[in-house]
Amino acid sequence: MTDRYTQAVNSGFTKTLATKLGLPRPALLRRYRAGEPLTVGPVLVVSDGASKADADALAQTLLGWDLDVRRDPGDDVRFGAIVLVLTETARPGDASEAVLATGSVLRRLAGNGRVVTVSRAAAEGDAPALSAARNAVDGFLRSLAKELRGGATGNGIVLTDDAAVDQTSVLATLRFFLSAKSAYVDGQLLRVGPAKAGAPAADLTTDRPLAGKVAVVTGAARGIGAAIARTLARDGATVVCVDVPAAGEGLARTANAVGGTALQLDVTAPDAGQRILLHARERHGGLDIVVHNAGILRDKLLANMKPAQWDAVIAVNLEAQLQINETLVQAGLENLHVVSLASTSGIAGNKGQTNYAFSKAGVIGHTRATAPLLAEHGGTANAVAPGFIETDMTASIPFATRSVARLLPTLSQGGEPVDVAEAVAFLAWPATAGVNGQVLRVCGQHMVGQ
Amino acid sequence: MATRQTARAQSAGSAQAPRDAVVVGANRIPFARAGKKYADASNQEMFTAALEGLVARYGLQGERLGEVVGGAVLKHSRDFNLIRESVLGSSLSPNTPAYDLQQACATGLEATITIANKIRLGQVDSGIAGGADTISDAPVAVSEGLRRALLEAGHAKTWQARAKALARIRPADLKPLTPATDEPRTGLSMGEHQAITTARWGISREAQDEIALASHHHLAEAWDSGFFDDLVTPFRGLSRDDNMRPDSSAEKLAGLKPVFGRSLETPATMTAGNSTPLTDGASTVLLGSREWAESHDLPVLARFVDAETAAVDFVHGREGLLMAPVHAVPRLLARNGLTLEDFDFFEIHEAFASTVLTTLAAWEDADYGKNELGLSGALGTVDRSKLNVRGSSLAAGHPFAATGGRIVATAAKLVAEKAAETGKPARALVSVCAAGGLGATAVLESA
Amino acid sequence: MTAAPPRTADGRELRVETQPSLPGLGGLYARGAAASGLIAAGRALPSIPGIGEARGPETRADASDGDLTLPDVAYRVGGVRTDDLERHLHDYQRLVHEPVGNTMPAGYLHVLTFPLTTGIMVRNDFPLPLLGMVHLANRVELRGPVTVGDVLEVRAWAENLRPHRRGVQVDLVAEVRRDAGDETEPPVWRGVSTHLAKGYFLEDGDGASEADRPRGQWTPPLPTGRWVLGPETGRAYAAVSGDRNPIHMSALSAKAFGFPRAIAHGMYSAARALADVGPGRGDAYRWTVEFAKPVLLPATVDVAITPEEGDGAGFSYVGWNARKGLRHFSGEVTPL
Repeated sequence: MTDRYTQAVNSGFTKTLATKLGLPRPALLRRYRAGEPLTVGPVLVVSDGASKADADALAQTLLGWDLDVRRDPGDDVRFGAIVLVLTETARPGDASEAVLATGSVLRRLAGNGRVVTVSRAAAEGDAPALSAARNAVDGFLRSLAKELRGGATGNGIVLTDDAAVDQTSVLATLRFFLSAKSAYVDGQLLRVGPAKAGAPAADLTTDRPLAGKVAVVTGAARGIGAAIARTLARDGATVVCVDVPAAGEGLARTANAVGGTALQLDVTAPDAGQRILLHARERHGGLDIVVHNAGILRDKLLANMKPAQWDAVIAVNLEAQLQINETLVQAGLENLHVVSLASTSGIAGNKGQTNYAFSKAGVIGHTRATAPLLAEHGGTANAVAPGFIETDMTASIPFATRSVARLLPTLSQGGEPVDVAEAVAFLAWPATAGVNGQVLRVCGQHMVGQ
Repeated sequence: MATRQTARAQSAGSAQAPRDAVVVGANRIPFARAGKKYADASNQEMFTAALEGLVARYGLQGERLGEVVGGAVLKHSRDFNLIRESVLGSSLSPNTPAYDLQQACATGLEATITIANKIRLGQVDSGIAGGADTISDAPVAVSEGLRRALLEAGHAKTWQARAKALARIRPADLKPLTPATDEPRTGLSMGEHQAITTARWGISREAQDEIALASHHHLAEAWDSGFFDDLVTPFRGLSRDDNMRPDSSAEKLAGLKPVFGRSLETPATMTAGNSTPLTDGASTVLLGSREWAESHDLPVLARFVDAETAAVDFVHGREGLLMAPVHAVPRLLARNGLTLEDFDFFEIHEAFASTVLTTLAAWEDADYGKNELGLSGALGTVDRSKLNVRGSSLAAGHPFAATGGRIVATAAKLVAEKAAETGKPARALVSVCAAGGLGATAVLESA
Repeated sequence: MTAAPPRTADGRELRVETQPSLPGLGGLYARGAAASGLIAAGRALPSIPGIGEARGPETRADASDGDLTLPDVAYRVGGVRTDDLERHLHDYQRLVHEPVGNTMPAGYLHVLTFPLTTGIMVRNDFPLPLLGMVHLANRVELRGPVTVGDVLEVRAWAENLRPHRRGVQVDLVAEVRRDAGDETEPPVWRGVSTHLAKGYFLEDGDGASEADRPRGQWTPPLPTGRWVLGPETGRAYAAVSGDRNPIHMSALSAKAFGFPRAIAHGMYSAARALADVGPGRGDAYRWTVEFAKPVLLPATVDVAITPEEGDGAGFSYVGWNARKGLRHFSGEVTPL
């Protein structure tokens, strides 16, 4: 649920009051509902001259998605999204026209609008000017995102050199960034690589992108894990809900809500991977998606840290994922998508969370290393790093601290568990095979780290 | 023509040899000492929770099962359709039929027998058996005098008649009646009855305490080893049976004062430590035909082979109240061509430690075997190392109607594990004694 | 309709006095019981027609003078209708834990005949006082089912006055026949209540017979049942049976007769034991009871109902106070 402050400043008398007082007014974020339009208005596709072909290709795709696509800003159109294509920009100076054109229509970007840049990643061997042009998009996008208002977000797709702009993974990522599913993803650039040869063509417009898939979600009893299970099930997956036996009551609730099965299991058990695999295969005929969501907190300043507090966090948040991944890699499952929950703490650090940050940064490490192993069988390993998410856990943070934490991100509010779940579902999507070894932050552009 | 005849012969043949009923899995909530964690939980809430855990474990959401059968021993009048109401409150298809059944402490096992029989007959393909009982939320009745006066006043047609009926209420009538576990025909509590049986068989205090201690230790080991991870779903913040005392010791048990049999001539031996406590809880067992399990990609733990119930005349002391299983088992074994030697596991419900011991003693007694069981001698000896190896009611507690489901689940998982480990079939004997001189017993085999 | 004159066990032929009706239950009992307090003082029972009218103008013979003779009279009431007794019977059955139905347990017929028997005991020529007499034993034979709606003939008399080591004992006999039945047939129900009057002695009596001697150390058997009797037990049975002897009614009234607390009716205990025997007793049975220590209310009574070995064998029963190891009563129920 959207927090009470955000609700209050967006409705009735309290809205008027907040406006007069100049209080921060976080927007009501538009979230995905089946059947609603992908964007809140027409999509403007702009590019520099060199990237025009790519822009045309993308515009064609967007038309295929039944969007109102414009190549010209016009005078009175209120846009739902702007796609800025800079894939072939060779020098920094070449971007000016397209960038400024984008700027000229920003005031006409609707609330909950989207700006998506499509560019290429700087690579070894790039000429200095090319490298500069490519890397410049990073700083540009992050700054642009901070200037957006009314729940609008800015995110970037960064293609590797060997990836075509119209390949499935790029389009899937573009669709995610344009959609309400990325409501709390802001100021992020996601690297997309080449498609796997012979990957099946995916229907990117379906409401059930995970139909027929079998997913395992650990820590599914409540909070973000339960939301992930619900979202994967919504997208068509059969979900095996895993949590420790002691959390079984909530786990059963989740499993019954999503029509999945409950597997009471401590992920730190030595045979956890085997049991997950066995359950998925015997009961559901296979395994396509694994979401490592189970995690614990044992916050303590390092000086006061007891061995049990350190070890428990590392065992659950990191070692368990490693062990299960090892089993999964050995099993050689085809097209397996593994999504691990990292944390912004693991990226930017947080006082009192040396153990937690150690584990979450470790998750990012093993995700990068596991990615090529799974890619051999057409699979992916990615991480989602949530920022401040409104859960039972964050509800226990003192009110003042919580209120400040909410206002820190560009979107001036905490995220919902479903925002994390949407990012996970996106990375679990077979269409995103080209997104591998990445960390996708779901933080409303919180000002920490990268 | 010939083909048709063959088909008919086959169908007649299959009617004579019923198909297998198998235990797919089970779920219960942890058992809680009365008045504690489940103090405000009703039978329906507990049974629904147990059902929901089972549905979640086996992905039965929206599934129309053949039948759900179960019951409660202590029941509110509002719980007249307890199991059906629980089904309606669950994630199962509302088109799943259900009915209540009650056979005191054997309710859960009798429900399992009923479902298994229907599956074997082909009347249903799947079903859930179970039971729930609460002491904490037990029905409190009004006195007979108040009840009669109220009923009469309710039936009265004039206010005078109503006033007259109500005027018969005496202050003593206003005292509520809490349910008693006393046998209605003898006025003796179950504990007193068992104390008499204990005295008759000369069972020692030490032997009883030993059984109790083993029960706690076995149950604690089972919990620690994760045996119950796929048999139990937590409820109301309780994730393990809270009667369990892993740190119990012979010394602690020996220090307890006897609570039953204190008015007998022989020394009293039955304490709160070697008797089951009053407990709240609920349990379920999922059964199906092999075909049903297979078509639903469900595992099979065990085959529910056969069952036998018995009753004894305890009213005039001809036999001990809780000795009915002693009589049922020889008949069950004879029908299946088995002896006690043929079992890998014995799950004998620990109503009291001495119930287990008097049962074993009776089976080992040659005269008793001849005179009471109609055998040529003693039935045989139960290998203690195969007895209640994952703990039983003394440690887990005994919410009457829920115990059968707990025991069937444990027995089914034990034979499945043993068979997987050894590659050979494994077999378990289940025995549950019940109030009213009743007993239900069953044989399970690895599937 | 007048029956052939009955004879006592010792051969005395009795003069039959036919009463117009059986003294009623309920309200009549209340008056009867109230009046019975006066009987000891030599007063009649004025409210029950026919009963007590045989008394002469003289007062009761001095009971202690050793000249004790029983009245040579048997009361008889014919045409006793039972069709309106259903509710009363059911109350009785619930009280003594009998299955509720329209067949009368033997104990109920005791209740039914009790007023007529009392009528004998309150006659002026009955040599012993009603109040203060101790119920020692009871022997009942029921030869077949008596059900609500049967029309009955009831007779009652006293016989067999004999010594006891603490006084004299007398048998009060009551018989129930189906009305207009064959006179030569034995009664369908026959009850003999043995009572002790302490402090009275017979001229030719030499004290106790063997059977009356105090018993030696007694070890209780394993119980088969336990009765928890509340303080209201005496009053409840009094309300149904009409026997409102003060020793049963309250601790206070019992103290007046030397008991520390109210005591349970002997026939209540015996009836509970009979009920505990259950359907194994059949429709026809002999039911005996001997009373030992009174049951002081409230009480917990352990009982053992023991089937005797052999086909058609009956049951013996015993009730005791487990805490003190004292026997309250014992008896047998034997199918006939």
